[in-house]
Amino acid sequence: MRNFTYHSPRTLADALDAARESGGDILAGGTTVVDLMKIGVREPAALVDITGLTDLEGHEIGPNSIRFGALARMSVVANDQELVAAAPVLTESLWKAASPQLRNVARLGGNILQRTRCPYFRDTAYAQCNKREPGSGCAALDGGETSHHAVLGGSSSCVAKYPGDWAQALIAFDAEVHTQGPGGRRTILFADLHLMPGDTPEVETILQQGEIVIEITVPVVPALKASHYLKARDRESYAFASASAAVGIELDGDTVRDVRIALGGVATTPWRASAAEDSLKGSPLTEATAREAGRIAFAEAQELEGSAYKIKLGADVVAGALMTAKSRANGGK
Amino acid sequence: MAQTINTAVTRTDAPRKVTGTATYAADFMPAGMLHGALATSSVAVGTLTGMDISKAEAEPGVLAVFTRETLPDYKSVKGFYAGGPGSASFWPMNESQLRSYSAGPGSASFWPMEDARIRYAGQPIAYVVAETAAAARRGAQLIEATYDIAESTIAMDPADSFVIGAGDDSDGMVITKGDVAEGLSVATQIVDSEYVTPFQHHNPMEMFSATAEWRGDRLTVWMPSQSVKTLRSGIAKAYDMSETSVRVISPFVGGAFGSKAGVTPYTMLTIAAAKAMGAPVRLIVTRPQMYTVATFRPESVQRFRIGADAAGKLTAFEHIEISQTSQFDAVVNPGTHITRAMYACPNIHTEQRLSRSDTNSGGFMRAPNEMQTFFGLESAMDELAIKLGMDPVELRRVNDTDRHPVADVPFSSRSLMESYDAVADSFGWANRTPEVGSMTDGDWLVGYGCATATYPTNILASNARVRMHSTGEAYIELAAHDVGTGTYTIMAQIAAARLGLPVEACDVVMGEGDMPVAPLAGGSTTAASAGSAVHDACLKIGRQIAAQVSAMSEGPLSGVDPAAITLENGVLKASGGQSQPLIEALASTATGQIEVIGEFRHKAMTDQMIKTTFQGGYGSAGPVTPEMAMFAFGAEMVEVRVHRWTHEIRVPRLHGAFAAGTILNRKTAHSQLMGGMIWGIGSALHEVTEIDTPRARFLNTNIAEYLIPVNADVREIRVEMLDERDDYVNPLGVKGIGELGIVGTAAAIANAVYHATGKRLRHLPIRTSDMV
Ligand SMILES: Cc1cc2nc3c(=O)[nH]c(=O)nc-3n(C[C@H](O)[C@H](O)[C@H](O)COP(=O)(O)OP(=O)(O)OC[C@H]3O[C@@H](n4cnc5c(N)ncnc54)[C@H](O)[C@@H]3O)c2cc1C
Ligand code: SF4
Repeated sequence: MRNFTYHSPRTLADALDAARESGGDILAGGTTVVDLMKIGVREPAALVDITGLTDLEGHEIGPNSIRFGALARMSVVANDQELVAAAPVLTESLWKAASPQLRNVARLGGNILQRTRCPYFRDTAYAQCNKREPGSGCAALDGGETSHHAVLGGSSSCVAKYPGDWAQALIAFDAEVHTQGPGGRRTILFADLHLMPGDTPEVETILQQGEIVIEITVPVVPALKASHYLKARDRESYAFASASAAVGIELDGDTVRDVRIALGGVATTPWRASAAEDSLKGSPLTEATAREAGRIAFAEAQELEGSAYKIKLGADVVAGALMTAKSRANGGK
Repeated sequence: MAQTINTAVTRTDAPRKVTGTATYAADFMPAGMLHGALATSSVAVGTLTGMDISKAEAEPGVLAVFTRETLPDYKSVKGFYAGGPGSASFWPMNESQLRSYSAGPGSASFWPMEDARIRYAGQPIAYVVAETAAAARRGAQLIEATYDIAESTIAMDPADSFVIGAGDDSDGMVITKGDVAEGLSVATQIVDSEYVTPFQHHNPMEMFSATAEWRGDRLTVWMPSQSVKTLRSGIAKAYDMSETSVRVISPFVGGAFGSKAGVTPYTMLTIAAAKAMGAPVRLIVTRPQMYTVATFRPESVQRFRIGADAAGKLTAFEHIEISQTSQFDAVVNPGTHITRAMYACPNIHTEQRLSRSDTNSGGFMRAPNEMQTFFGLESAMDELAIKLGMDPVELRRVNDTDRHPVADVPFSSRSLMESYDAVADSFGWANRTPEVGSMTDGDWLVGYGCATATYPTNILASNARVRMHSTGEAYIELAAHDVGTGTYTIMAQIAAARLGLPVEACDVVMGEGDMPVAPLAGGSTTAASAGSAVHDACLKIGRQIAAQVSAMSEGPLSGVDPAAITLENGVLKASGGQSQPLIEALASTATGQIEVIGEFRHKAMTDQMIKTTFQGGYGSAGPVTPEMAMFAFGAEMVEVRVHRWTHEIRVPRLHGAFAAGTILNRKTAHSQLMGGMIWGIGSALHEVTEIDTPRARFLNTNIAEYLIPVNADVREIRVEMLDERDDYVNPLGVKGIGELGIVGTAAAIANAVYHATGKRLRHLPIRTSDMV
């Protein structure tokens, strides 16, 4: 049996101490971390179970910002009808993720930090995986199956896809992540949290060892109300995105005042499509401009063997999501 | 027919299943049981040059690490199962062909850990025994193997294929009737297309497991099995033991679909480990290992050339099936045997070919000969209908036939067009507008498609023991299997109907090797074959009791000629009008109880077929006998929607109508057909075992990434079961239904996708990525 120490602190201070001293992994719902331990990809010396820190549960919709405790459950947040009305992109992206069982267990802090599903990363029988064993090579890029890999943000070391859905809503709406770590409290722009693989795909975020996510805040802007998460997947539920888009718009008459576009299922990190947003600002939103925005969002995409479909599909998904957001901005569904 | 037949009876084992008291093989835990774990090869082809087992041995709780050098007494049963006599009747061949040929599970001519060769990724290389399952698995992880790696390929190369068997009409693998070239030359329209299907794995919910316990020279094995006789006789043969020294126990099976049909290396490794340890050992195979230690549905290419005249009548029919096999076995699921039975045509050529690649050996998976081939055939028929400008249903109608097109014998019954008419009615086929893309609903493109389903009626010899008590119970015992299908319930229903008892009063026990012989649960045989043996036993009880009471000095049947007495719904009736309930007659006999062995033998069964079945093989007298062709038929219609923006493909409606002789239980039959259709949705849109080409490995070896339909993918499924009478197939008139439901679904969906979008997809699965 693989032994490890299990800590179940009751206070944040104890949790920080335990994490620092043990060098272990934080455990929230465990649907990523325990899974990776079972398949031998993570072998932490200790687990610091933070689910006893009940202060970190819950979420609130304030006038200027929406606050999510790091331990809020995916299912609870997804089912909050007030949030559904105020910021549909934030609930739809949770609702369309994973399965009901997983959503009941998984927490938002863990959700944003979920790891890639690259099959070579997850199977230790493959000697090559730079993310798992730095410097070992990349089995995916060495002739492997890449139809589920990223077409944006990859490097010659790694093209693993960031698989999560909710993160796209967060990056689109300028969310901030509030943490407490060895260096004290800090606030990180969500867009700065994840790192592109570059030459060091093993480093996925700027978080330090033992740094704990406390909460996530999303500023309230008009585009949040007319927002939408559209996810294309190969089955109706319980599947990772083939391509997805988190969008929101604010219209001034017919012209776009504010627009947000982020892409899921296609990039190595949560991915904001700023150039596509810029193409729409100050212009009318029509099916043609929406399609053009979709194309721009993928202008720099690099296809791998079998992944060309993601570029076309992703562009269509962006356009389709924008059309729904427009309808919402005009009071529709 | 008695009332309990053809009604909807709830499964008798349902309460046990939902309360967790049904005992599956791995629930039996003999005292002192140890735990096994497999270590498997990370490379596909090469030689094992070394193994460091020191860390594994040092792991707390680990008791032994067996490698090929240290594992004592490991026995293989090469070529045992279908490579033996079993295949001779199913796929007739002469002796020399048989030697180069084997099929399916338990027949592998190469067994792991016999030598240092590595021939597929995931091949077992060591067996760890420990005090706990966790320690055993950890020990297996800690083994460090080194290899001399050789080149490998996992995908077959269809250009490099060979004909299986003799290459002429003698063995059915290559058949020519008339002249296809000539048929094509007179055709108005020709479809010449190739359809590709992927590797698929069964992924039953219940994991593979084996538990072995030796007591002296007697051995007990608990293992989920579709064929306890095969398992018992294979083990006995390998260990040179009498079959009576080997007990095989498998009362419940949590899904099998072909994956639990044979004697596998992991079984024999567990038996050897238990022997070496002097203690019982249980192995539970991990989900990823399940992809390489048993079988799978091999990938295939289906080539069709079909010609038709202006009226749609076929003038030429050519089907060449190329399916994948391992480097060391020649596993063939002969789908051309089935496709050539479908439509009338004067010029027919079919060919069964194989192509080798570096995998473990494939085998049977639900509708092993039909799923892939009917995706091809029924897509090709749709393409032909479009070329001819004909309604696809009408194309089937003009080519319907009451004689087998090659064997030239009549079908014992064939309700294909009745099925089409019934499903067209319930589905609303008349509302379909034929032009591509002509049906839309908001952001959805809508398409309707249809396809034919068929399944051969395989009938095998079977026995069954029935004991009836005058207190009103019956005990039914036979070595059949309930793989989740409802077999316990239908066997009880048959006995209840004949003996005049309530279903609950008929206690059925099954799933042990030393019970009366019944065939393996494969090829949709159990209800027809084992059910007919139970039926026969009940009639025998009637005859024997009739003989006794007619000889009595008093009683309603006293003095009546016993030959004039029949058993009907539990009542003995004389031709002269006298009658007596069977239970009363039984009570009047001296013993008040009776036990008989019932038999099912069909006049088309040869002695060799019967012997084969009794040895655990597959001695089917079907689907084509010298005088009849026996198949069940059906038709499926589906509505598909493809989204304008997400390109997602969804199936809001799937209807099927099927005619499969007598329906014993309308509830479990409905579930079987519906389950098959749902699996068909999976085959069409979801299922594929992805492959890593450079390292020749199966990739998505877990059920998060191996997609199957979830509830949300399954919307309106309607199943209609037509009345059909067939007195030839067996005394019950039953054809198999376990596999029929899956057969037409994939093609129906592909045809509907074409109708919605104009995209003709000639491969499975059809994914979002194909729609952009
Ligand atoms: C089969 C399957 C399908 C899935 N499908 C989807 C899908 O379609 N879409 C989708 O978005 N997701 C999907 N997921 C991922 C799932 O949403 C995540 O696993 C889950 O949200 C993680 O949350 P958790 O609480 O279980 O995290 P854990 O497993 O407990 O933690 C995840 C990671 O975050 C770290 N961590 C957790 N909390 C904190 C904290 N407060 N501070 C610092 N570090 C922390 C852990 O150390 C670990 O590294 C799927 C997962 C599975 C297993
Ligand atoms: S893509 Fe990244 S995670 Fe996948 S094998 Fe390559 S390095 Fe590893």
